[in-house]
Amino acid sequence: MIRLHNIERSYPLGRGQIFYVLRDIDLDIATGDFVSVMGPSGAGKSTLLHILGMHDHGWTGEYFFDEAAVHHLKSKERASLRNEQVGFVFQQYHLLDDLTVYENLDIPLSYRHYSKSERAALVADALDRFQIVGKKDLYPRQLSGGQQQLVGVARAIIASPKLLLADEPTGNLHSSQGEEIMELFRKLNEEGVTIVQVTHSEKNASYGKRIVQLRDGWIV
Amino acid sequence: MLNDLRFAFRLLLKNPAFTAVAVVAIALGIGANTAVLSLVNALLIRPLPYRAPARIVLMLEHFRAQHLDAIPVSAPEFVDYQTNCRSFDEMAVFQPGTFNVSGGDRPERIFGAVGSAELFNVLGVAPIRGRVFEPPDCTAGHDDVLIISERLWKRRFNADPQIIGSKIVANGRGFTIVGVMPASFEFPIPLFGIQGAQFGERADVWQPLAFTAQELKIRYSRGYAIVARLAQGVSAKQAQAELDTVTAAMRRNYPDNYPKDDSFGITAFPLNQVVLGPMKPLLLILLAAVFLVLLIACANLTTMMLARAASREREMGIRVALGAGRWRLLRQVLVESIFLSLCGGIAGVLLGIWGLDLLKRIGTQTVPRLSEVNLDWHVLIATFVIAVGTGIVFGLVPGLVSGDPNLTETLKEGGRGLSSGPRRNHLRQALVIAEVALALVLLTSAGLLIKSFVQLQNVDAGFNPQNVLTMEISLPALTYSDNATRARFYNEAQKRIASIPGIKKAGFTNILPMSGTNSDSSFNIEGRMSDDKNPSPDEEFRQVSPGFFEAMEISLLRGRPFSESDNADAPPVTIINAALAKRYWPNEDAIGKRINVGASAAKEKWATIIGIVGNVRHRGLDYDPLPEYYMPITQTPNSQAVLVVRSSQDAASLISAIRTALREIDPAQPIAHVRTLEQVVADSVAPRRLSIWLLGLFAAIALSLASIGIYGVMSFLVVQRTHELGVRMALGAQRRDILRLVVGHAAKLILTGTLIGLAFAFATTHLLAAMLYHVSPHDLTTFAFVTVVLGAIALVASYIPTSRVIRTDPMLALAHTT
Ligand SMILES: Nc1ncnc2c1ncn2[C@@H]1O[C@H](COP(=O)(O)OP(=O)(O)OP(=O)(O)O)[C@@H](O)[C@H]1O
Ligand SMILES: [Mg+2]
Repeated sequence: MIRLHNIERSYPLGRGQIFYVLRDIDLDIATGDFVSVMGPSGAGKSTLLHILGMHDHGWTGEYFFDEAAVHHLKSKERASLRNEQVGFVFQQYHLLDDLTVYENLDIPLSYRHYSKSERAALVADALDRFQIVGKKDLYPRQLSGGQQQLVGVARAIIASPKLLLADEPTGNLHSSQGEEIMELFRKLNEEGVTIVQVTHSEKNASYGKRIVQLRDGWIV
Repeated sequence: MLNDLRFAFRLLLKNPAFTAVAVVAIALGIGANTAVLSLVNALLIRPLPYRAPARIVLMLEHFRAQHLDAIPVSAPEFVDYQTNCRSFDEMAVFQPGTFNVSGGDRPERIFGAVGSAELFNVLGVAPIRGRVFEPPDCTAGHDDVLIISERLWKRRFNADPQIIGSKIVANGRGFTIVGVMPASFEFPIPLFGIQGAQFGERADVWQPLAFTAQELKIRYSRGYAIVARLAQGVSAKQAQAELDTVTAAMRRNYPDNYPKDDSFGITAFPLNQVVLGPMKPLLLILLAAVFLVLLIACANLTTMMLARAASREREMGIRVALGAGRWRLLRQVLVESIFLSLCGGIAGVLLGIWGLDLLKRIGTQTVPRLSEVNLDWHVLIATFVIAVGTGIVFGLVPGLVSGDPNLTETLKEGGRGLSSGPRRNHLRQALVIAEVALALVLLTSAGLLIKSFVQLQNVDAGFNPQNVLTMEISLPALTYSDNATRARFYNEAQKRIASIPGIKKAGFTNILPMSGTNSDSSFNIEGRMSDDKNPSPDEEFRQVSPGFFEAMEISLLRGRPFSESDNADAPPVTIINAALAKRYWPNEDAIGKRINVGASAAKEKWATIIGIVGNVRHRGLDYDPLPEYYMPITQTPNSQAVLVVRSSQDAASLISAIRTALREIDPAQPIAHVRTLEQVVADSVAPRRLSIWLLGLFAAIALSLASIGIYGVMSFLVVQRTHELGVRMALGAQRRDILRLVVGHAAKLILTGTLIGLAFAFATTHLLAAMLYHVSPHDLTTFAFVTVVLGAIALVASYIPTSRVIRTDPMLALAHTT
């Protein structure tokens, strides 16, 4: 599904020097895979995930998503590819404070081609499936961390992405809440969603099918 | 306090961009106010340059039945008023005049006045050298003394300390200089606006007035205006009542000269009102305009200070936690804002001085009394007060917000410092709405004036001003004492000038269209009786030479123009314009009809109408043409004339050739006031153009300030929303989605502001009505046009900060707050 070849990401340090965050990354991820990316802080894990999620444009190398050569796509085409294929779960949840749970779930749908009734049906499904129907009119700050991340995951998959990217989804949660999210991931993976998650925990990594180790921007 | 000031200073130094933008905004707002306050101060508030000017009146007569509302008086009438009125300390009579001063390298024509002995007592101004007129000066044969202005003394006589008693030759006659008036003295003032009088320039020479015996007999020859000083304890109303009894007696005593009803009379106008009245509406409108500009600047500064307050929330929160009271924090912000405002004020005053300078350079020749405008202590103090007030206004709200412990508390725990409370965003949005509304009001006003001006430019003046040169000539009575010598001069001059290569046509007129001069005269129509019910017609009257209509390209509709054979020996002829033909011969052919000029019908010879010419907008492009009739200058040669020369190309190059030609006829004869006819036309609308420039400038400042304000607020709101926008982009929002979201929000504010502004403009533009020309105060296209322009600029101002966010990757946007 995904093939990275010689991906590099760097930031200028000033005085002509360059700081490499990612170096010569080659990575293949098959459809239905469940990859855990691990490594010390600052190794470039989040950076890699943002590149996979097409949130970042400042890299070089080759990135094939299915048949599409992402490195040749214009930013508009990348955005539409992302909208069709990718869902994203953040460590800090990134729910919008001024919107209710229902409205937060609706955001991704509002940026894709769904009719009003389809959107209502999909949001209702998601609320049902994650058992948060009762919370639909609450604001994020009225939820616990685990509940917020539950909404975050629900929002990530509401538009049925084929690829789910998660950057330390349980990083801010208690272990029991974390387990719940991990179970959810396993179930999604069994339903056919390809998952790439960043994690610091061996236990979380064990939910995945394989582990990719990053150190100082290199895959080891 | 000193600590606060030091802290404020350090803070402003630390944010040079903030400080620069703030100082520029304040400087624009205050500079505009300083300039307009100077105008108001000099033209409305500062007293006229005479002693106790409130008690001085200007007296002019009226013959209402003939539409003559403010005309001069005759010599015998003045004697009647002077001998019969008790309401005045003193009463003087004067007449503007020109003086051809010869000697030196080149003869020069200088503007001045002839006045009776009481004139300087009425005005209450003493000379800086020599003396004023005394009664013996005002007797025939002894009136050969002159008082000159300090200006002329310095310019022409190098401030010669021996000036008193020295001789000069003016109008071909020797004069002795007896006095020098101070530079501040100005009389008459160009604004007196008396029909038929000529007040184009500042007066530099005054001659005593000695009535001739002949003059004292002719009641209908009116060329003098009266100035008088009200006696102590006498009100203007009482004086007017006395004048009314005097005119009633005149009507009884001279039934041949006046109508029986009260359509004849004299009015005493307070001098202040005559001089200041016409300027008032324009100045008040300008004052309102700059006040709006200042309000916009304040709104701008408030939003900037609020944004700053938001970025200092942590600092303020810590100060509150450490026990700083609300007043302490407010004081800190106020010290900062007032300090900022004073810096802007100083820059504003400099800007104002520069603006006034520019204004004077553009308008002194054409806008009365503009040369007197300057920045004095009154204006400086007012500006200082405005600056401090401005500082308080735009510092107050941010200061109160900074000291609000409830808000800061929420920040302390959250730590997400940038998301200020919704209350403050409401305030910001309200300020954007206000700025848009205020700017729209100004833009609409400016738009209406500009459209009026454009309409005016397309008006047909009745003549073709292109490639025409005009200059004034006045023939001194001493050397050109009779009609024959004057006629000879005009004939000879015209012949010589017409033969200069490049000149197509030349002609003379005593009154040039749009030059600010005018004259009218009553006449009789053969076969139509005039009596009290039907007074003799009185219409605009000009004396022109053959060639004048051709040189002006005034169209000849019927008949023939004047020719050289229409001389003193030939039968009298006249040419009328279409408006006059329509008024008096609406259904007949006017050609061949006969009229005569002058009150005593029997004595004058009948003049035959030989032609009808097109109408001319004599008083200016914005006045409808009036009925006019023309007599040949060759039959009644006037001593004052304007030479009109049409050339095949640019006329300016021909001036020296014309000068030479005239000097060949009379070496002592100066020419004055050389202007192209296009310049004359432009000058006639100069006050209007100046008001457009000013209002347009203020509207432009308002527009740019409002745009900066919108830009600032939208930048702030966008920065505040960066996280949200980043999340939305990460979740699939395209650039246009984000644009729609943010700019849509801005559009709502702009729309609200526009609607409020439109309502406000709609309710107030009628105040401009007097300054508009063929444009309704509610002109739809103007309203629509400015709305679109303002809306577009405001949208761009809100688009720029948004576009910056959408160009960043969501990854960076997300990192913004984490
Ligand atoms: N905008 C930026 N400019 C410069 N350097 C950056 C920027 N963003 C990230 N980096 C650097 O890139 C490196 C990798 O960052 P990244 O966030 O990918 O690390 P990470 O592996 O996710 O670490 P963590 O486990 O702490 O989240 C870090 O050293 C970081 O300092
Ligand atoms: Mg990371």
